[in-house]
Amino acid sequence: MAITATADAASTSPATTSSANTSAVRKKTPQELLRVEGITKVYDGSVKAVDNISLTVATGEIFALLGGSGCGKSTLLRMLAGFEKPTNGKIFLAGKDITDIPAYKRPINMMFQSYALFPHLTVWENIAFGLRRDDMAKPDIAERVESMLGLVQLTKFAQRKPHQLSGGQQQRVALARSLAKRPKLLLLDEPLGALDKKLREKTQLELVNIIEEVGVTCVLVTHDQEEAMTMASRIAVMSEGSFMQVGSPDEVYEMPNSRQVADFIGNVNIFDGVIEEDESDHVTIRCEECLHYVGHGISGNTGMSVGVALRPEKIMLSKEQPTNGYNWCAGEVIEIVYFGAHTTYHLKLDSGKVIKAQELNNTRDLSCGLTWGDRAYAHWNDMAMVVLTH
Amino acid sequence: MTNIFNYLRNHIPGRQIVIGVPYLWFLLLAAIPLLIVLKISLSEMESTSVSSMISWTQGWPTIKLNFASYIFLSTDPLYFETYLSSIKYALVTTIICLAIGYPFAYFMARSPKHLQPMLLMLIMLPFWTSFLLRIYAWKTLMVNNGVINNVLISLGIINDPIAMMNTPFSLLVGMVYSYLPFMILPLYANLSKLDVRYLEAAADLGTSPFRTFWLVTIPLSKAGIIAGSMLVFIPAVGEYVIPELLGGPDTLMIGRVLWDEFFSNNDWPMASAVAVVMILLILLPMAIFNKYQSDQLEAKS
Amino acid sequence: MNKAFGRAWMVMVYIFLYMPIVTLVIYSFNASPLVTVWTEASLRWYVALAKDSDLIAAVWLSLKIAFFSALMSVFFGTFTAFALTRYKRFPGRTLLSSMSSTPLVMPDVIVGLSLLLMLVSLQHWLGFPERGLFTILLGHALLGTAYAAVVVTSRLQEMDGRLDEAAMDLGCRPFQVFRLVTLPLLLPALVSAFLLTFTLSFDDVVLSSFLSGPGYSTMPMVIFSRARLGLNPTINAVATVTIAVVSIAVIASSIYQSRAERQRKREVAQAYSDANQ
Repeated sequence: MAITATADAASTSPATTSSANTSAVRKKTPQELLRVEGITKVYDGSVKAVDNISLTVATGEIFALLGGSGCGKSTLLRMLAGFEKPTNGKIFLAGKDITDIPAYKRPINMMFQSYALFPHLTVWENIAFGLRRDDMAKPDIAERVESMLGLVQLTKFAQRKPHQLSGGQQQRVALARSLAKRPKLLLLDEPLGALDKKLREKTQLELVNIIEEVGVTCVLVTHDQEEAMTMASRIAVMSEGSFMQVGSPDEVYEMPNSRQVADFIGNVNIFDGVIEEDESDHVTIRCEECLHYVGHGISGNTGMSVGVALRPEKIMLSKEQPTNGYNWCAGEVIEIVYFGAHTTYHLKLDSGKVIKAQELNNTRDLSCGLTWGDRAYAHWNDMAMVVLTH
Repeated sequence: MTNIFNYLRNHIPGRQIVIGVPYLWFLLLAAIPLLIVLKISLSEMESTSVSSMISWTQGWPTIKLNFASYIFLSTDPLYFETYLSSIKYALVTTIICLAIGYPFAYFMARSPKHLQPMLLMLIMLPFWTSFLLRIYAWKTLMVNNGVINNVLISLGIINDPIAMMNTPFSLLVGMVYSYLPFMILPLYANLSKLDVRYLEAAADLGTSPFRTFWLVTIPLSKAGIIAGSMLVFIPAVGEYVIPELLGGPDTLMIGRVLWDEFFSNNDWPMASAVAVVMILLILLPMAIFNKYQSDQLEAKS
Repeated sequence: MNKAFGRAWMVMVYIFLYMPIVTLVIYSFNASPLVTVWTEASLRWYVALAKDSDLIAAVWLSLKIAFFSALMSVFFGTFTAFALTRYKRFPGRTLLSSMSSTPLVMPDVIVGLSLLLMLVSLQHWLGFPERGLFTILLGHALLGTAYAAVVVTSRLQEMDGRLDEAAMDLGCRPFQVFRLVTLPLLLPALVSAFLLTFTLSFDDVVLSSFLSGPGYSTMPMVIFSRARLGLNPTINAVATVTIAVVSIAVIASSIYQSRAERQRKREVAQAYSDANQ
């Protein structure tokens, strides 16, 4: 549980709905579409893949389930689709209990990780497949398929078979097929997993644009943090069958509620310390390596053991010792990792702890000036940390 | 009609039908017949229906088992010799098929990829043409005035025809000939899927090609070797047609014995007893084969 | 391993396999009734074959039986394959698995004897079936089911399991999934299984002998009884005809398959070059 800031430090970024900037907080439509109550899935009597999970997703949201392998995210998704039956709990869609309704009757469609396009059917037939099962009139089917093809820009490829398409094209067909029936809920299973990095970036934006254009509510499953953060309006970080934290991407990133979440997303340095001063507008925490001055009040007490989480990009490096008495520490540069756009410095502090600091390479001569073996000072401002109890 | 269909569809889960149909089929045609064989082996020729076996005395059923056939089997040394001989021939056939088939499958798997389908087809083509006719063909080849002898004589290599026919030699030729594809196919399937990178790794670690073959290739093709060997050995034990056409009086095969007991002697209990003992002999190899089959099923799921 | 050695070995095995077949064909054109002494080329044995009503009737019977037993084999074999691949757990699964692989290796004589005894008991009890076409059909169908099950299982295992889920997700009831997605993709395997079981049935001697009744002689039964008595050139003629028909079929299908494969590879390559433009 995060020690919440008492001052107004919650996400203050303005709510924008520009399609390109999807990580901003979305205007929440109050209408609830999906409600999951106490879902549990137990295998073989003892293995709990999903442990008593509840959540609600509002219409128009893109909700991401983020976690490593075995955390239960795929199982949860499959229960939503209807391929697995929950051991306990209920699922409601638009107020209706769908827990016992089989997959082929649910107004939910899924885009599979491996696309699962029918190899014996053309692109056109693949997209029309679900529509035919609904006994739609032929001209209506044609109209819908054509509009889907236009949506994903594959009109020219309508008569091709899946093996005649590239990976990116196959993915677009899979998307078109899953949207063709105008489902109330769209499920995405690792949508970008099969693509290489360049293609992934491009596709991420296209995917979100299409989803927003259609206006469908999504639940997506991924192990890739970047994917979750760029695409989703809310993220649930999962581990061992339960949710560790649910929130918007910037909430989860900047205000993790536990060491586990802080460590899972991105990189983080965690200092162990004890609260020395506890005031309503600031707190100081004494750690072995340094003294932290946190610029807002927290809901803890003097003497409490806490962890201070500090992300590498919030740390600044210099060769001169900072003048104030807090929020800095000193160490030896033991590693420099060059990423092109930024560089991560590993600093071995006097206490033996190694921290990571990240600097942008905003001039072309890497003029941070530090090299291996140098003595450097890391400093940060008083709003850069998150204080964690566990 | 549709009403019945709908009723079935809604009341009997598909699962039960999909499992039930083949289950009943095999029970009726594979399992029950074997039980009947067992039962008849324990009865007399005149009374071979089930009810005659069970008689009721004072309300308690007593089952009358007639072991005459089995007693005869164990006392007449000819039967024992025949069983032994059948196993020997089957074993020799398996070994020869392995010796010929393994290198063949190995070289075929290492041939250029685009040639392999054609090479495979050429192996399968004889299989698709009648087995009986091909065994008959060997007869024409090996008879005293057969093709082989005629050719050899006309070439001056020999003066008198070699008596090849109706000997253990001709039997083995026929057996190896028929069963060779059954050995080659599983071996080829296994060897063609062998990842070349294992061999490259061995070479990288300093193993000579010869040792790589013995230490890496052969162990990795174990599954294929076992499958092929079982596919040859088990049916070969009870083979009838080949010994009948190509074998002779001194090639004792238990398949012929069974046939003769049934067709010539009309002694059903005896034939059944012969069958039961044959099954007991091949029980272990069959268990190995069944295990291999179900492993294949598991491995790919 | 030495490449030359490998090639020599393969060539020798091929010679071994084809020598009898080639001999059969050559001597079918031999004028002499002594099958193994060549006199001159002649078609007399083919003429004799055309007049051999017993043999021709037997061929006809064999074709009929082979056709229907292949249909039954594919039918039951597909059920078996589905039961074993789609359902991982059910009571008696090991039994079903064993029963379905046993006919693959069990010696023919045992299968024939056991089936016959069972059918005779059935006849005592129910009054039917009479031994004849139907009983032979059953025997061949049993054998064929085991083989068909292997072929179909192999293909089922290769198929992407997600396709079924995708179909259900899009609104297909379970039987529709089978009809619209699984079956079309299974078709090549079903055809393979049909041809395999057809051949097996057409070729069978032992089962037919055990299970047939008076007046029902299959082609292999006729050939077998004649072959036991000695060499007979009409058999050569029948053999050549069979070999010719089968060879043409196999070679044609092989060419067709490799063409289709090449076409497919071309299409896939085309897709990639298209996408990279």
